Amino acid sequence: MPKTITDASMTDDSTDTATAGVQQMSMQQALNRALNEILAENPKTVIFGEDCGRLGGVFRITDGLQAKHGEERVFDTPLAESGILGMSVGLAMAGFHPIPEVQFDGFAYPAINQIVCQIARMNYRSRGTLPMPITLRVPSFGGIRAPEHHGESLEALFAHVPGLKVVSPSNPHDAYHLLKYAATRPDPVIFMEPKSRYWQKGPVDVSNAALGGAAHDGDTSTGGSLTGARVAREGRHLTLVAWGAMVSRCLQVAELAAEDGIDVEVLDLRWLKPIDAEALARSVGKTRRAVVVHEAPLTSGLGAEVAQLITQSCFASLKAPVERVTGFDVPYPSGDLEDEYIPNIDRILFGIQRVLEYRRG
Amino acid sequence: MAEISFPLPDLGEGLIEATVLDWLVEPGQQVERNQPIVELETTKSALELPSPQAGKVVRIHGAPGDTINVGEPLIVFEVPDDTAGIVGTVPKDEAPKRRVRLSAVLDED
Repeated sequence: MPKTITDASMTDDSTDTATAGVQQMSMQQALNRALNEILAENPKTVIFGEDCGRLGGVFRITDGLQAKHGEERVFDTPLAESGILGMSVGLAMAGFHPIPEVQFDGFAYPAINQIVCQIARMNYRSRGTLPMPITLRVPSFGGIRAPEHHGESLEALFAHVPGLKVVSPSNPHDAYHLLKYAATRPDPVIFMEPKSRYWQKGPVDVSNAALGGAAHDGDTSTGGSLTGARVAREGRHLTLVAWGAMVSRCLQVAELAAEDGIDVEVLDLRWLKPIDAEALARSVGKTRRAVVVHEAPLTSGLGAEVAQLITQSCFASLKAPVERVTGFDVPYPSGDLEDEYIPNIDRILFGIQRVLEYRRG
Repeated sequence: MAEISFPLPDLGEGLIEATVLDWLVEPGQQVERNQPIVELETTKSALELPSPQAGKVVRIHGAPGDTINVGEPLIVFEVPDDTAGIVGTVPKDEAPKRRVRLSAVLDED
């Protein structure tokens, strides 16, 4: 049987030898540190993509890795995403653990054939003899005033494909640990990095004990299990469900809602495939109200899946239908219009108000 | 801080070089994107070149009368390390602003 990220027996995998303790670093630095350690720990790991080698990545995530680990393990590719992901398939078949990068979310489209038709199903097709231990890093979502194809949210697209796992960290600590965790999975993981959060610093506990996997299940004070969601803020009246860059915005909204006497819980989903349905049930079972927030367009967005999972587990106790506050059903706009497209504080507050006002019958 | 070198761009019509007429900025000066930085003359016309980006001018190449080939360094800028990369800008963490207030009667049944 191929092992999956929900396999609790596979979570005892941290071999971090760095100095224990908490350090302040940006998500850029946390990801760079994680990649450096992954390369050092697993000689089968190779990192490649557009500008990943000599330049160190347009977001500096692979900065210094080629100089340290050599041109055979960290290298530049031609501007051809189908080639980057196609090469990942071959490397994985040959026993390597590729960590390819697609430079921006919207550049993944040319590689959809390799991702969907090869990477996602090779293990299945080969009856488990050709696993695809590939971690595809995708700088994702909007918020940096970039042009077309640089601000898109592809989580629903990837989550729909059987065989793929999808994860998105919201802070430097999770970014460090989730990337190290993803890189040890025998299954392909789409690692969606919220590019608008690359530069914000936060505490990162790089010690072994920081996130140990199954031992932390349900213990929200330590961030919960690596395989599940994380309660980013506890509250009684309503649950905001978010991931990636929307988590920090929802935390801001929760502070503002508290001024009005509304106690909002924020659930950072982290894994978007598979979704931590138990965490959703625990949180909304308590608050009885939920609003899902995502940057992606509304229709067939992951918010619909989340709403259904909540309804399935909490139907009897829900005070109102689950609300969705999302991007619009339009192509991602130019940077000048980004603030109108991405759910802003007022739109999320309106969503909360609609849920609070709802009365049955 | 990082330095970014801007080479003489292709000015169109198959021209391969241009002559510096006059620099409009000098080293040490802070320039804005699209601000005219240099007057150039080609065999077709004289033109003002706008700055491709904001930043502090570190070096300029070519004195008035000098000829520069397309692709050779023209000007070097100093920019903060936290520029987003090739595209985009680093978002600022601003204090949250709101216009919407919540009002609700919460029955705690």
